[in-house]
Parts: sequence; structure tokens; C-alpha cells
Amino acid sequence: MGKFSGKVVLVTGSSRGIGAAIALEFAKEGAFVIVNYLKNVEAAEKIVSACIEVGGDAWAIQADVTSEEAVHSMIEQIVLEAGRLDVVVNNAFKPYVFDPEQRKMAWQLTWEDYQGQIDGAVRSTHYICQAVLPIMKKQSSGSIVNIISNLVERPLVPYHEYNTAKTALMGYTRNLAVELGPFGIRVNCVAPGLVYPTDASKKTKESLKELIISQTPLRRIAKPEDIAGPVLFLSSDWSEFMTGQTLFVDGGFVM
Amino acid sequence: MREIAGYIPNIGEESFETKVLLFERNQEIIEVEIPILTNEQMSRLMDKIKHSSRKVLKSFSVNELMNIIDEAIHRFLDRDSFYRQKAEKVLPIVTGYDEEMIRLGLTSYLKTFRKHELQRFLVEDLGNPLLLDDFQPRVKGGFSKAFSPDLITHIWSGNVPGLPLWSFISGLLVKAGNIGKVSSAEPLFAGWFAKLLVEIEPRLADCFAVLWWKGGEEERERFIFQQTDIVVGYGGNEAMEALRSRIPITKRFLSFGHKLSFGIVSKASLDSLKALQTAHLAALDVMRYDQQGCYSPHVFYVQKGGNVSPKEFARYIGHELEAFNRRFPRRKLSMAESMEMAAWKNKEEMNLFSNPNNEVLGSNQNDWTVVFEDSDLSLTPSSLNRVVKVKEFNHIEEVTEGLLMHRDYLQTVGIAASPSELFQWSHLLGSVGVTRMTALGNMTSPEAGWHHDGRFNVLDLINMVDIEASAQQLSEELAPYAD
Repeated sequence: MGKFSGKVVLVTGSSRGIGAAIALEFAKEGAFVIVNYLKNVEAAEKIVSACIEVGGDAWAIQADVTSEEAVHSMIEQIVLEAGRLDVVVNNAFKPYVFDPEQRKMAWQLTWEDYQGQIDGAVRSTHYICQAVLPIMKKQSSGSIVNIISNLVERPLVPYHEYNTAKTALMGYTRNLAVELGPFGIRVNCVAPGLVYPTDASKKTKESLKELIISQTPLRRIAKPEDIAGPVLFLSSDWSEFMTGQTLFVDGGFVM
Repeated sequence: MREIAGYIPNIGEESFETKVLLFERNQEIIEVEIPILTNEQMSRLMDKIKHSSRKVLKSFSVNELMNIIDEAIHRFLDRDSFYRQKAEKVLPIVTGYDEEMIRLGLTSYLKTFRKHELQRFLVEDLGNPLLLDDFQPRVKGGFSKAFSPDLITHIWSGNVPGLPLWSFISGLLVKAGNIGKVSSAEPLFAGWFAKLLVEIEPRLADCFAVLWWKGGEEERERFIFQQTDIVVGYGGNEAMEALRSRIPITKRFLSFGHKLSFGIVSKASLDSLKALQTAHLAALDVMRYDQQGCYSPHVFYVQKGGNVSPKEFARYIGHELEAFNRRFPRRKLSMAESMEMAAWKNKEEMNLFSNPNNEVLGSNQNDWTVVFEDSDLSLTPSSLNRVVKVKEFNHIEEVTEGLLMHRDYLQTVGIAASPSELFQWSHLLGSVGVTRMTALGNMTSPEAGWHHDGRFNVLDLINMVDIEASAQQLSEELAPYAD
């Protein structure tokens, strides 16, 4: 019996990278994992097969999480198919190139740059939460985990629009946690440091990785698998008395 | 996937006998097809290369050759180029090394062969690189020119990807024809480089070949060496002995056999601030290419008296190796290698009963092993694949005393020490046979123009031809315009 046997888990943006690693770990613990993806159906199907192979069940579903309509229809399908929804991991985000050398500087940013990231991080999470709240309220239980970034605490590289959006998501999470606690629904954040390799970080220069490692007590940078453990913890009843919290998963870079 | 290895100039043959080597990693399989030449084909090949070396290669200026090599290196450095992408995809499967390690290793290695590095390379050996083009005036009077042989045969090893470049490029720079025999462990890189050179400068098409034959084929090797001017061999000492026995006494043989390298850490780099970074650098040297290079460390000698003791330093290295293993996982070992490693570790653990102060650290999967020893300072070869010993000392003489018996094998020392220690220790280490002192963390990246095993890169490949001052003086009297 896995820790998540009989549980239904939605991981947004889980056809690759951190999302895929999280989906796989839930599956190892026996969960029924909904692999949400935007474009790459092949990659999503691969993760589904991998989830089944490790002992869970899984199902891929396409939906653009920045579209309210698409989100509602996805959640409806999930409830129709699975009958419940215990855990939601808001992992999808608007594509962003993490290039410390070519990033926009403060005076080069337009409001649209910010709006794009805020839509990708907060608006999409909001749509998902609005859609799942009725279900979780009815269940009187549920756990929502939002993936942010350790840059909210220490903007080592000031990716202004990205960091601002993720910081807003942390605030969103805390407010939601206050309001939903009385319904038995917990809302928390996981804040990874630089995760390598992922599509977003594949161009990160070795010198930046070495700089981060030199200030990281656990002496390395995160791999996608490293993020999964804390997400599973916050999704499980091992953390049943925690809500509104942010767990930093960066080897101690931020403390 | 199938790859054709090697490079053979057009010798009028339609097809060659080939051998297919199979490589597998993470369920990906690559078949590498290597041409094997008959003695008759080999003979024609060598004639053609010698002829082209004389007629074509020697007509290039050394600057032109550097530009061509520089262009090839830059194409390999460009991650979007055809050969670079091929190398990043195929070499991890062929060698078993992690993709990231290959990617970073290739870039750092290739950088040592760009034009400015090649210039340094030549100046280091020759002083004046134009000696390769024309007679140049000498300080002592008279003139000299460096003449190169028509044919150099290289016997390459495959422990580290790309290794053949050192001798191949040296051979090209001196304008010699080159035949390289690749190792079956890494048969591809040298051939790609040869093909790329020809793409960049088609006139070089007949000036070199990259091929393979079964090592130790005595008759074939005798036949080839008979017609070669210089043989450059890389590999184990037994293989080198065998090669030597087949090379006629009139030919030059440059051999690069077994070597032992190690690190030395002064207490100066073991204070509360620096110790961690020092351990990071030491672990880096162990991790890179899983210690398969001649310059990779087998032992770290660590001085007592710092804030961080040698035993604690060993534990730091252990944790750094664990962290590196997540980032650059070790090559998957064969069953035999795994068993050998387990046996080695087992023996070290048994030793703990008689030496309770020693410590054996390692992961359960044996991804890495660090052994701390407090009394035995001998330089013991490691079983490699991220296995290293840390031994503590008080005075450098305790270390160097025991090294003399290994004089023929010593090569690189990675040093973390104060300036005065660096020079004082280097003097002692040089006197027992060490030929290269480098920064800890830099052991696997020799600088351009290094003296490999204390020798020269191009000086050993050429003959100096002098026009003595007297000949010039006499010629003056014979000038048609002499008064």
C-alpha cells in the first residue's frame, strides 16, 4: 500500500521536468495521477506509461491552465472519471527563459512582461483553485501545493517579472490557506532553487551553477526528483497540521 | 544507430573489410563500423600519405595549418554544429560517461587547441614557430630549420574521449603525415576530427588516416613501423613494451605508458573558510572521467595541523563525491569491475580491525569510496572509478621519501599550498620524478604546451637542420656579385 493509494492527484504541467518527476513519485506511492500538459502529448503519454510501470495509475489530459474554460472542463472530466480530487499541484508556468546574461533589466520591462508572468503563475492557479474548491469543500479535505521559487526569498538573479509573479503566488497561497483551513483544505508552497536539468534551465551557465553550489550547504544544485519529496510531504497527512507554509528545496541556499 | 569510424584517403579501393563494435548505454545501442586494411592496402595508404605529406602538407605555412586546426576546433566548440552534436549524442553511449561530463569535458579540453593556445604550444617548444617554415637566424650564428618526418604512426588509447588530439595535432603542426590507430574503447573522435579537417581544407585529404587494427598483431605492426619514421604510443606498460619490441632501432619511439598521479593539500588550505572549497576541488579531480586519465589522483596527502583535520577532510571529499554523483553519475561498471571494486572495499574494511583509526567511507552502491589512513603514507594505486585514499602527514619529506620507488611512474600532482610551500614542495617532488604540478581541481586539464611526462610536444617529432655560420661565410665568397 502506497502512501497515496486511492488518492487522485492532479499535477499541472507534468509532461516534463519537475512536474514529471512529481507525477512519477506520486505514482510510486500508488496515486491515480492526472498528467496535465499543454502541447507535448507524446511526452505526457510517456510519463503516463512510466507512472503505471512504477505501480500507480495515470491519465494524460490536455488543458491550457491560463484558460478558465479549459480548466473547468478539465476538472469536470477528472471528477467524472475519478469521482474525487485529493491533491492539486500547481506546477505549470508560463514559459520563461532563465538567462542571467540576457534577462531584461528593470528599466527595460513593460507592464505586459509582468502581466504575462502574473497570468502564468497566479491567474492559472486561481482558475484551478476556483474549479477544485467546490469538490474539496464537499470532501472536507484536500491539499493544494503551489510551486514557486527560492528567488522569492533571495532574488540572486532579479528575473523581475518571474520573481514578482512567484512572490504574488506565495501571497495568494497564504490568503487561501487562511480561508480554506476551516474546510480542512490545506494550501502550501514548495520553493525550489535552481533545478537542473530542465528545459527552462538547460542554458544556465556552469559559472552560475558553481556560484550557487559554493553557497549551498548540501553542495549541489537540485535535480527534478529532489522537488518531489517535499511536494509529497505537503500533500500527505504527514503535514496535516501545516498550511500557508513555504518549503524551500534548495540544499540550504536560502535559510 | 550505426556510425562509421575512422578516416581513409582515397587509395583506389571501393570497399574495405570492416569490424563492427557494439556499444550500449541505458538501452541505447550504437554499432560502430571500423575499416580494417590488408597489408597491401596499408602499404598503398602509407605511400600516399608520405607523398602528400611531402608535396602538400609541407607546402602549408605553420600559420595556415594553425588556422585550419583552429577552425575545426571552433566547429567542435559550437554546440549547434554537426560534429559537436554527434559527439554529445554518441560519446556518452560509447564511453559510458555521463552526458554532462562529456559536454563540459569536451569544451574545456578543446579550448586548449585554439589558435592562441597552439601558438603558445609551439613557442614553448621551439621559441620561434617559423622554424617550421623556413631557415631562421640563430642567436649563436648560422640558421636552422625544423624538418619533420614524412610519417608518424600514433597508437592511441581510449580511456578519455578526445585524447588522440594531443599527438594528432602535434603531428599536423610539424607537417608530418599521420596514421592514427584508434582504441576500440573510443574509436570515433579522431576520425570525426580528420573528416572535419578535410571538409575545411580539402587539400589535406591525403595527408592522414585514422584506422584500426587489433592491438598486438605483431606481423602487421612490424610491417607498419618499418615504414614509419616515428611511433607515438599511449597505453599500458605491457602494450608499450610489446610495441617497442616491434620498432626498428633506427626509428624513434615516444611512449606514454602507465602513470600515477596524486594530490597534496597543505594545512594552509584547511582553515575554517577554505577547507570546504579545497575538498570540492579535490573531489572534482576524482570525478572527472572517473579517474581514467594518467593525470587523475589515486591518493590525497593531507597535512595535519589545519582547523579541519585530514580525517574530516576525507569526509568532506566523500560528501562532495556524493553530490557530484547526482550531477555527474559515474559510468556504469561492468560486472567484473563491480566485483573488483566490492572486493577492494571489502579488503579495506577488513583492514579497519588492525587500524582502528582508519575510515572507509562510501555509498552503498559503491558510487564512490574514500579511505582515510593515518599511518601508511605509501602511494597505493586506486582501483579507480571514484575511489581515492586520504593519507595524513606532518612534513613533506614523509611523503616524498616513499615516492622515490615510484619514480618511473609519477606524473601529476594537484597542489593546494601557499606560494613558498608550492615552490619548496615542487622542488622535492620534481626530484623524485613528478613532472607536473597543477592546482588542485585542475589535474585533468593540462594547459596548452604542457610537458607531457616531462617531454616536449613537437620537439621530439622534428629534426633540426643547421646551416652553420661557416657555410654561410663561404657562400658569400661564391656569390656571383662577390667583389
